[in-house]
Amino acid sequence: MPDHQRRVHNRLAVLRAERGLSRKQLADKLGINYQTIGYIERGDYNPSLELALTIAELFRLPIEAIFSFKPMTPLSEEIFREPPAEPR
Amino acid sequence: MNTTAISRIEYLPRSRRHTLVAVALAGYPVAVAALAALKHTSLNRWLILALFLLLLLPTLATLAVGYRYARCRIDGRRARLDERDLSLRQEAYALSHRVLATILIAATAVTEIYLTSGNTLQLDASTFWPAAMWVIVYIPALPSLMLAWIETDQPADA
Repeated sequence: MPDHQRRVHNRLAVLRAERGLSRKQLADKLGINYQTIGYIERGDYNPSLELALTIAELFRLPIEAIFSFKPMTPLSEEIFREPPAEPR
Repeated sequence: MNTTAISRIEYLPRSRRHTLVAVALAGYPVAVAALAALKHTSLNRWLILALFLLLLLPTLATLAVGYRYARCRIDGRRARLDERDLSLRQEAYALSHRVLATILIAATAVTEIYLTSGNTLQLDASTFWPAAMWVIVYIPALPSLMLAWIETDQPADA
């Protein structure tokens, strides 16, 4: 990844594992080479907006649930996190 | 080249690719310099030729491996280049342009210094052909070599 680019963190590996997809299967669905999936998962390549939106569409998730500038927290932690206390 | 060898080339680690590119770029000038030095010795002409070809072998081998590593992505022979391949190719071409410009500027500067120091430069077959061969071999090979240089290691299969 070029030095001037910000690193984009992602949950691609987790989502792929959850759905039992190999890199090759996911790459075929997205119309890209399977190595590219590995590079995205490792954070070595930032996908284009078009590819990121296609991935979000494929997993039926909002794009920010898959890609973020901040390191991703585990999904379970996000789902079961206690909501902030209501101000009295 | 058999399938295993091709597969090994495609998965060459980056450090090995850096060595390969360095040998490919430095090998030919070294061989030509050695040839120029050997011409002034009393060695047999055929022996000099054999030594020159021997010195040229690593260059040819590394050029072939570098070309094979990047071939499909540089010349567009792979049916489908995805966005990462295209961006990598663009980066490789840009880097080869920078490297070529640097080499040409450096060569011009060295020649200029040499000539302004009262020396003369005789342009004959022995000086023209090495330069012409460099252009013929390296200009087409540079993008492949630069792609081999910049690409990070492939992620392990999963």
